[in-house]
Amino acid sequence: MAERSLSPILAQLKQSPQMSYPEASALLSKAKLLLLSVNALTPNPSAPSNLLALARETYEQGALFSIRAKNADAFTRYVQQLQPFYELPSATLSPNLPERNKVTGLSLLLLLTQGRYAEFHSELESLANRDGGGTDVEGDRYLGYPVRLERWLMEGSYDRVWKAMKSSEVPCDEYSVFSEILKNQIRSEIASSSERAYPSLPISSTKSLLFLNSEGEVIQFAKHRGWIVKEGHIYFPSAAADGEDGASAKDMSQMIMENTLGYARELETIV
Amino acid sequence: MPSKTPHNNAGKDGDDSMTVVVPPSKAPKQPAPATDAEGDVAMDVDNAEGKEEKVDPAVQAVADIKSNFALLDRAVALFDARFSLRALRSISLIRKHLSPDVIAQAIADTYPANSASGSIAKSLLAAVGREDVALGRAASAEMDVDSDFKTVKNGASKKEAKEIIPEIDVFLGILIQVYLFDAKQYQQGADFSKFLSDRIQTLNRRTLDCLSAKVYFYFSLFCEYIAPLPPSPESPIVAIRPTLLAVLRTAVLRKDTDTQASVIVLLLRNYLLTSHIKQADLLVSHTQFPENAANNQVARFLYYLGRIRSIQLRYTEAHEHLTAATRKAPSSGCAVGFSQTATKLLLVVELLMGDIPDRATFRQPSLEDALHPYFLLVRAVRVGNLEDFETTIADNADIFKRDGTYTLILRLRQNVIKTGIRMMSLSYSRISLRDICIRLHLGSEESAEYIVAKAIRDGVIEATLDRENGFMKSKEVGDVYATREPGEAFHDRIRACLALHDESVKAMRFPMNQHRLELKNAQEAREREREMAKEIQEGDLDDDDLGGDLDGI
Repeated sequence: MAERSLSPILAQLKQSPQMSYPEASALLSKAKLLLLSVNALTPNPSAPSNLLALARETYEQGALFSIRAKNADAFTRYVQQLQPFYELPSATLSPNLPERNKVTGLSLLLLLTQGRYAEFHSELESLANRDGGGTDVEGDRYLGYPVRLERWLMEGSYDRVWKAMKSSEVPCDEYSVFSEILKNQIRSEIASSSERAYPSLPISSTKSLLFLNSEGEVIQFAKHRGWIVKEGHIYFPSAAADGEDGASAKDMSQMIMENTLGYARELETIV
Repeated sequence: MPSKTPHNNAGKDGDDSMTVVVPPSKAPKQPAPATDAEGDVAMDVDNAEGKEEKVDPAVQAVADIKSNFALLDRAVALFDARFSLRALRSISLIRKHLSPDVIAQAIADTYPANSASGSIAKSLLAAVGREDVALGRAASAEMDVDSDFKTVKNGASKKEAKEIIPEIDVFLGILIQVYLFDAKQYQQGADFSKFLSDRIQTLNRRTLDCLSAKVYFYFSLFCEYIAPLPPSPESPIVAIRPTLLAVLRTAVLRKDTDTQASVIVLLLRNYLLTSHIKQADLLVSHTQFPENAANNQVARFLYYLGRIRSIQLRYTEAHEHLTAATRKAPSSGCAVGFSQTATKLLLVVELLMGDIPDRATFRQPSLEDALHPYFLLVRAVRVGNLEDFETTIADNADIFKRDGTYTLILRLRQNVIKTGIRMMSLSYSRISLRDICIRLHLGSEESAEYIVAKAIRDGVIEATLDRENGFMKSKEVGDVYATREPGEAFHDRIRACLALHDESVKAMRFPMNQHRLELKNAQEAREREREMAKEIQEGDLDDDDLGGDLDGI
C-alpha cells in the first residue's frame, strides 16, 4: 500500500523539476514517512527490492532538488543516505547507473568547489572499485566531468575549465549550479597568478584573460583587488614585496643568531 | 591489492624470524629440556623413532610439532611470550611437510582419549577431515610395530599429566589454518577460523596473545580469498569487520598489544581493499597503534597509513610514513613483496612531491624488474615530456591499476608540465608561448599562458610574462649563496645530527639504579673525606687521638 502511494509522489517529483524547494521537500518528507512505515528507510535485508528501489529514488530526487535549491547541506545529507543503497549487491537491488553517476558526480563537484580535495580523491578512489560499470570513470558523462575539471584546475588550464562550463558542455542542468562558484574561483586564481607573472597588463586583454564581459567590469575588478589602473594598463602593486625584503633580512639575521646560540647550547650538553 | 598477498604472506613467516633474537633451533633432535614429565617422555620416544626412519619427513614433522608443545608449556609456566614466538617461528619449517595425516597424528598423540579437551581435539580433527582417527596413541599407523609397549608407557605418563593447555589447542589450530591455506581450501579455512576465534574469545590468557594475533591474521586472509574477491562489496571481508572490531576492542581493554597491532593492520587492509578510505582514516584517528608492537606490524601499519595519506594529498606525511615502512621492512629475501609494493608507492609519492627518486633505487637486484614501469615513468617526468608520460601510462595501465597506484599516477600530469616549463625556463632566456605550447603538447596558447602564470605563482620558475608580445622572459638566476637557502640547509643538517645524537642517547641501555650506586659511592667517599678532614683537624688539636686514628685508617 505504501508502494502505491509512493509511486505517484515520485512521479510528481520527477515530472516537475521546476517545483519550488519547500513544496518538493514537503512531498519528500511525506515519501520518507511512507518508507519508514514499511521499514525501508535504510537498506534492510528483509525489505523487498522494489521498495528499496523506491527508497533510493526518493533520496535521489531529494538530492537533485536540494542541489537545485543550492542547499549544500541537505544535498550532502541525501548523498550520505544514498551511500548504503549504492553499496548493496546488484542481486538485491539492480543499479540504476545514470542516476547514480549523476548524483555521485554532483557530490564530487560539490567537494571540488568547496576545496575539499582530500575527500574528493578518497571518493574517486572508491569509484574505481564500484561494481557494475564503475571501471571507466573518465569515460562516464557525469563522472568524467568533475574529474576533468579537477585536472585542469590543478595544471592551470583555466580556459578549458571555462569552456567546459558553457551550457552545451555541462552534462545536465544541475551541474550548472556550480558554474557561478567555479567562475569566481578560477577568476581569483587567475588574478593571483597574474599579479606575480605580469609586470603590467593592458586593460583590453585583461578582459579576455579574466573572462569578463566589459572593460568597466575589469576596472571594477582591479579596484576590488587593489590594482593600479594607469593609462590603459593595469599595474600590480609590488610594494608589499619590497617591504617584505627588509623584514626578511632582519628575520634572517635574527634566525642565524638563534640557530647559532642553539648549536652552542646543544654542544654544551653533549660535551 | 590482492596481488601482493602471497608475497606478503611469504614475508610474514620471514619477519617473524627477524623479530626474535634467539636463533632458531633447527635440529629437532635436540628438543629443549622440558620441565614436566610428560614432555620428556614424549620427546624421548620421538627421538628414538627419528633415528629409526630418518627418511620419513612426516614423522619428523610430527616430532617438530610436538617439540613446540614443550616451548608452549614453558611459555605458560614462565609467563614469557618469547617461547611462544619461537614456536610460531618454527611453523615456516614445518609448513612444507604439513598434511592431514601429520596433523591428525600430532593431535592423536597429544590428547588422551577420555579427557575434557577431547571435544576440542575432535573438532580439530574434523577440520582436517580425519574424524575417524581415535585419540590416544594406539591409532597412529607408524607405531603399530611396538604399539603395545608405548601405549602402556604413554598411558601411564598421561595419567600424571595435567590437562592440555589451551595454547596447544590454538597452536594446532594455527597449523591447521596454515595447512588449509596452502591447500587452497579457503571456505573450509574460514569456517574453521571462525570456530577457532570464537574459542579464543572465551579464553582470557595473556600467554595466548601472540598466538591469537596469528589466528586472526589467517582468518582475514581466508576471507580475502573467498569469492567474490575483495573490490566487490559482497566479499566476505566486509562481513568479518564487526568481528575484527570487537576483537580490537577486547584487545585494547586487555592491553594485548600483539592482537591489537595485528587487528588494526588487518582492518586497515580490509578497508583499503574495498576502497573505504574514509573509514580507514577514521579508524586511524580513533585508535592508537601500540608503540611496542612487533616490527613487521609497524612496517605494515606505516605502509597503509602512507597509502591513506597519499590518497588524501598529504604527500609530506605519506612520504614520511612510506620511507619508514621501506626501512623497517626486513632486508632479507623473504619480504621482497612488501618492500616492492612499499617502494612503488614511495616512488609515486616522491614524484608527486616534485622530487625525482634516486636512480640507485632502481638498480637493487630484488626490485629492478618490478620497478621497471616506474622507472620509465620517472624518466618521462624527469624530462618533462608529456607525450612520453602519456604513452608510459597507457602501456602500463594494467600494472599500475594492479598496484593500486593508477589514480595517483594520473595526478602526476601537472608535475610533468611543471618540469617541462622549468626546463624551458632554464634553457631559454626568452621563449614564445606558442613554442611552449608546441613543445609540451598543450592544447592551446591560452592554456599555455595560464599554466605558465600558475607555475610562476607557485614558485616553480622565476620569470615574467609579456602578454602583448606573447613570450615568457626568464629572470636571471640569482646567486644562491646570497639567499638564506644555504643557511637553512645547514641548519636542517645540524638539526638532523642533533636529533640522531639525542635518539642514540635515548636508545642506550642504562643498568637499573646504576647511577644511584655511583651516587652512593661518591657520597660515601665524600663522607669519608670529610671525616678524615675532621679527624685530622681534631688531631691537630688533640695529639693523643692522632695515633689511634691512624691505626683506624
